[in-house]
Amino acid sequence: MEIDDDLLANSDAGTEDDDEFVELAPEQTSAMDGMDPEEFPYDVLALEQVVTLMVDIIKEVRNVVEIPATTTRILLNHFKWDKEKLIETYYESDPDRIFADAHLISPSRKVAIACSKREIKPRYSVKENGEYVCEICYASVPEQLMSGLECGHRFCISCWTHYLTTKIMDEGMGQTISCAAHNCDILVDDETVMKLLSDSHVKLKYQHLITNSFVECNRLLRWCPTPDCGHVIKGQYVSDKPVTCRCGHTFCFACGQNWHDPVKCSILRKWIKKCDDDSETSNWIAANTKECPKCRSIIEKDGGCNHMVCKKCRFDFCWVCLGPWEPHGSSWYNCNRYDEDEAKRARSAQEKSRAALQRYLFYCNRYMNHMQSLKLENKLYASVRDKMEEMQKHNMSWIEVQFLKKAVDVLCQCRQTLMHTYVFAFYLRKNNQSIIFETNQRDLEQATEQLSEYLEREITQEVLRDIKQKVQDKSRYCESRRNVLLKHVHEGYENELWEYLDNI
Amino acid sequence: MSNIALTRIQREFKEVIKSDEVKNCQIKLEPFEDNFTHLKGEIIGPPDTPYQGGKYTLDIVIPETYPFNPPKVKFLTKIWHPNISSQTGAICLDILKDQWAAAMTLRTVLLSLQALMSAAEPDDPQDAVVATQFKQHPEIFRSTASFWAYVYAEAPRNEKMKEYEEKLKQLQEMGFHEKNSRITALSSKNWDLQAAMEFLLP
Repeated sequence: MEIDDDLLANSDAGTEDDDEFVELAPEQTSAMDGMDPEEFPYDVLALEQVVTLMVDIIKEVRNVVEIPATTTRILLNHFKWDKEKLIETYYESDPDRIFADAHLISPSRKVAIACSKREIKPRYSVKENGEYVCEICYASVPEQLMSGLECGHRFCISCWTHYLTTKIMDEGMGQTISCAAHNCDILVDDETVMKLLSDSHVKLKYQHLITNSFVECNRLLRWCPTPDCGHVIKGQYVSDKPVTCRCGHTFCFACGQNWHDPVKCSILRKWIKKCDDDSETSNWIAANTKECPKCRSIIEKDGGCNHMVCKKCRFDFCWVCLGPWEPHGSSWYNCNRYDEDEAKRARSAQEKSRAALQRYLFYCNRYMNHMQSLKLENKLYASVRDKMEEMQKHNMSWIEVQFLKKAVDVLCQCRQTLMHTYVFAFYLRKNNQSIIFETNQRDLEQATEQLSEYLEREITQEVLRDIKQKVQDKSRYCESRRNVLLKHVHEGYENELWEYLDNI
Repeated sequence: MSNIALTRIQREFKEVIKSDEVKNCQIKLEPFEDNFTHLKGEIIGPPDTPYQGGKYTLDIVIPETYPFNPPKVKFLTKIWHPNISSQTGAICLDILKDQWAAAMTLRTVLLSLQALMSAAEPDDPQDAVVATQFKQHPEIFRSTASFWAYVYAEAPRNEKMKEYEEKLKQLQEMGFHEKNSRITALSSKNWDLQAAMEFLLP
């Protein structure tokens, strides 16, 4: 069997384990996958495209600095895959020093070492009856079964394989495996690793480790956070912009979290940390059940709308504030504001901390509520699909019923935005702009809940036309309110209108 | 035990037995059980240190993946040293952790431990109490270490020890019967009787 030593095309054709690197058929995708002309330009790369990209970068650098590919890879890793920085440093300072810093033997010195090999060898392996003694297993092996790096340390191939397998499988090391000799920090290059490994599992793990370190180091690459997705987003610059992976997941390119407009990455990070720290309390408070404010029956919310009707006492109330539903139905919807004056009245330290907790829980409650609803909208997609089929039986064309799916899309976007507006609001200091923001938020929230309610309604033959009109109007309204809110926040960022509360 | 580990250990035994250090009674290595996975090592306290003349026994466990992973080594003989726990004998030494190299041997480990005894690293301590004393009261540290060597490692006596034995006796008369905890208490409190007593009281 012919053994192909090339790292990237490596596969023993006869082995039973599938080598993903080869098995994945190279997908022919357009270069500008998720590109929207006005938006942030980015590509979605499959795993093998990442590998190709890595090889391209290596080639590009090699063409300039003229050093072997394996050495280039280690150097690039040392420079966190910033090729400009590498090339610049390479020409501006002493290359030998760079090689030493990256734990490499300089290629120019290799020649010198090759000449003096005869003197180096006896230092590391004792010759016994024409054979060498491996310093790891102490077995006498013929010279052709010994292997090593440019540093001159030589061990038998079987020990090398064991050594590399331990490092890769047990310690999860990829780019940073050094020579097995004590105090020798010369790094093992990938070509040598692939040559010395035979188990395809270990090889695969090694390739994953290398690709992973390439993606992790590279500021312009980010793994899709979906479990087992394996796609990588390649941006042209770093920016907090939404990117959508081929798996359908939309996330922030700068921080990797679910797309969180209008709140900034740093604030969201603070919020998530706070939520994690306080998770015990908030989990307890914002648990899935609430009591009916009138008859105290335990109620679990299983749909997206906040208009609750208690099964037992028929009391209409709002899920968020637990007040009667009556005022919410009209224009008087005051659920998204926290009364700051209330907090001021809290005098003693205990009361103050209680107020802080209450304030946090107010925002956390609403944040969690939208998150929960957002999860439940998946169910809504299914029920809407049924409704759409039902409507098509009632003399509506396929194109005529698409508005429903579109409306659920809008609903999800609005919930995603609303969810993060509470994070934004939590850290916001009250000023005129924040009042406008809260008004926008209230408007959007009210419209979103109405849309949610429309979508949950039974659709009958009689109300069909009416519902279609309402849903379309409401979803258009939601969409525009959402845009207004986001635009206002972004303008605020540009003009530095937002003031944040410290000490939270 | 894997084949490679067994071959290695057997070869290492030969190496240690043949070595000059064994001839000079510097180090010793013998199996605890027949199967080479659990060994007993012995090193002599190096000259010009408080441990001079002491005999230190080591517990060595060879992992399945040896020599690609380091052996697990700890002191069985109690010792007063910043990088070795005075309670458990656990050792803080880079070559027994991430700096282990497959080409290192038990002989090099034993010699490195001897070297560690001559050159402590108080900035990277295993035992914070000892390390603090090492940095703040080097004199007390040295006499304490040699007292421990005398009590636990059969090292020769010296003048200072009379004073320490006297304090131990006083503590004993106060009703503290456990010898090791008396020594630990006095050593940790720089041989201040009052402080040691408070330390021992529950």
